Amino acid sequence: MTTVHPRRPARRYGPDGDPAVAGTEALLQSLSRREPVPVADDVVRLLSALIEDVDHDLAAGQRLSSVSITPSA
Amino acid sequence: MTEGCVADAKSGVRLATRSDGVVHKDDLKDLTSLAVQGDRTAIESLLAQLRPMVVRYCRARLGRVSGQYHIADDVAQEVCIAVLSALPRYRDMGRPFASFVFGIASHKVADALRSSVRSAVPTQDLPDGPDEGPGPEETVVRYIEAEHARRLLSRLPDNQRELLMLRVVSGLSAEETGNVLGMSPGAVRVAQHRALARLRALAELESIA
Repeated sequence: MTTVHPRRPARRYGPDGDPAVAGTEALLQSLSRREPVPVADDVVRLLSALIEDVDHDLAAGQRLSSVSITPSA
Repeated sequence: MTEGCVADAKSGVRLATRSDGVVHKDDLKDLTSLAVQGDRTAIESLLAQLRPMVVRYCRARLGRVSGQYHIADDVAQEVCIAVLSALPRYRDMGRPFASFVFGIASHKVADALRSSVRSAVPTQDLPDGPDEGPGPEETVVRYIEAEHARRLLSRLPDNQRELLMLRVVSGLSAEETGNVLGMSPGAVRVAQHRALARLRALAELESIA
């Protein structure tokens, strides 16, 4: 008796062609570049808040640490 | 240093310096090579490029203590010092320099997390003028949401958490993240998609519970 296995569906997209993967890449690229992103869900909002929090006072040129980093001559 | 030139990902990591909304691409590999030879200008440029990314990474991993980032910032500073100290001995063996830097950062963060010692929290000087920053309510909301994001990220497997930290918080591109983690840019894109999906599932579970 021959067992008939259902044919596996062929992959429609390569890793770079999957629209969902490309959509995530576009979103994360915008977050990474600190560009405004549409807050589509809670996770995007939370990641945006984390970015804003870690970037806080980073651009202001404030002294960030008590540890000196000045290389000696 | 070639301004405006985008490197082949195989030839080394180029990290973007983003200021005033303008993206400059600097050749970290060339800069590193000059810095290793003791070129003071190259060392300063290298630090100026690396430091914000290292600070963001340490802040995202370590969070605030008593409402401040002083421990994370000190760890970031230690990472930069360790990188500076190791520079004269650094040899380009084909491994991207960013991989070397974030390897040090990862170890320093792990050491800090293991350490139970919490030093006294330094207080900031009172400002002389009006504070132009966000108000207390906005600051508290951001603080709570950032902590929530950290909590969710901490529930991801180590590799997914590290990937999102580098890609999103430190601000590396898919190519740069791939160079640090030893993955192809395509593999990074697929992995980050899965990591984000997992993060969304965790957030959904939390909201139901």
